[in-house]
Amino acid sequence: MDCSNVRPLLSHHVSGRLDEARTSEVARHLEGCPSCRQLALVEGALDGALATLPRGAAPARLLARLGGLVLDGDAPAGTATGAPSPPPPLPQPRPGDRPRGTESRDRARASTWTAAFVSACAAAALVLVVVRTSAPSSALSRGPDLVAEAVNDHLRVVASTHPVEIESGGIHQVKPWFTGRIDFAPRVTFSGDDDFPLRGGSVGYFIDRKAAVFLFQRRLHAITLLVFPPDGLAWPSATGAPVGRLSVTQTTSRGFSVLLWRDGGLGYVLVSDVNAHELVTLATKLND
Amino acid sequence: MTSATGGEPFGRCLLGHADALYGYALRLTRREADAEELVQESYIRALTGAASFQGGNLKAWLFQILRNTYIDLHHRARPQPAAVGAGGLDGPDERELFCDDLELDRLRRLVAADIEVALGTLTEESRSIILLDVEGFTETEVAKMMGCAIGTVKSRLARARALLRQKLKDYAR
Repeated sequence: MDCSNVRPLLSHHVSGRLDEARTSEVARHLEGCPSCRQLALVEGALDGALATLPRGAAPARLLARLGGLVLDGDAPAGTATGAPSPPPPLPQPRPGDRPRGTESRDRARASTWTAAFVSACAAAALVLVVVRTSAPSSALSRGPDLVAEAVNDHLRVVASTHPVEIESGGIHQVKPWFTGRIDFAPRVTFSGDDDFPLRGGSVGYFIDRKAAVFLFQRRLHAITLLVFPPDGLAWPSATGAPVGRLSVTQTTSRGFSVLLWRDGGLGYVLVSDVNAHELVTLATKLND
Repeated sequence: MTSATGGEPFGRCLLGHADALYGYALRLTRREADAEELVQESYIRALTGAASFQGGNLKAWLFQILRNTYIDLHHRARPQPAAVGAGGLDGPDERELFCDDLELDRLRRLVAADIEVALGTLTEESRSIILLDVEGFTETEVAKMMGCAIGTVKSRLARARALLRQKLKDYAR
């Protein structure tokens, strides 16, 4: 092996990640090559420097949000089809691969950090299951997963430090912003008013597809409007109440009011903690 | 879903890697708020794509999702430092690979803050390949995450580390 072959291997050599044959070859070269030997020392020092990088913990507020997602993800929601862009499973390590052993350390530390949180999640899940199973039958025959996802999305929007990607200057500023970002055109003409100001919009995901997200406000309450292609979703089969020219299905989930309707081949969901009457008022304005 | 996670609910297994993912996200985005959103979006994608995970290294699968999500949400929208050198990766001139006792001494006196700053000046690709290596992933896993051959991982990692050394010369105290 000459210097050009050895140098790319030096970082692996100093961290002991080469197989036995390669280790011997590199060691033989280093015996007779002072410059590569010096580089090996530098690579070792760089490893030492990189090892000093702090391994910070995820903030509690993030863990809380992830916990909410995970609780729903572990429920038999049946939403794991048509994922947006999950990668294929990774291959198993090859015999020549020798990880540095940081994973077990990381796992142990991560497990410690999240153990209490996961326990809390488990307790919350139990409560959730009890509440769900003891609650009266929903008016929605096949829609609770869709509603739960809508509420989760609303919570994500509310919890986000950047809830909108485009600040509102009116619907004629927000709607064009979506062009090129989503492959459908939301039918939203309501520009907001004093009662329901439009704060802005963003692109999000609804279950497994992109959604246009509009954020309205009612006093101090946030109202999320999600617009998305409804193809393949278990849309509620319950008969909706007439709101303007549309039939709107009304329900509640975890204390949030949720309205759902379809119009022009798109699905629309309004979610907020305002009362249902106020949400219907906004739905009426949206569908005028 | 529990089949590929040793009987543990899939979502809870994901939670066990939240700290490592947040650390990676923070070094990609360099802003806490952006890092939190990146991790959250990655979990959403992981949960909706749970059916496609068929075993193997769950942490590597999550890191791959996070990197793809970062590229989707951030990387394409922002100008990156110019990529120079073979393979589209930034890299120092061969002459600058020369090292001496002075560099060795400087490296040994570096503090984490210096390294954070130097890492932040690298392209996403260089930063990622170093961070994924530090995280302990195998070359096979990194190759899958980066979408390149294993041999390419070796050469890119060597160039990225050389470039980091070059940057660290400016920050060493």
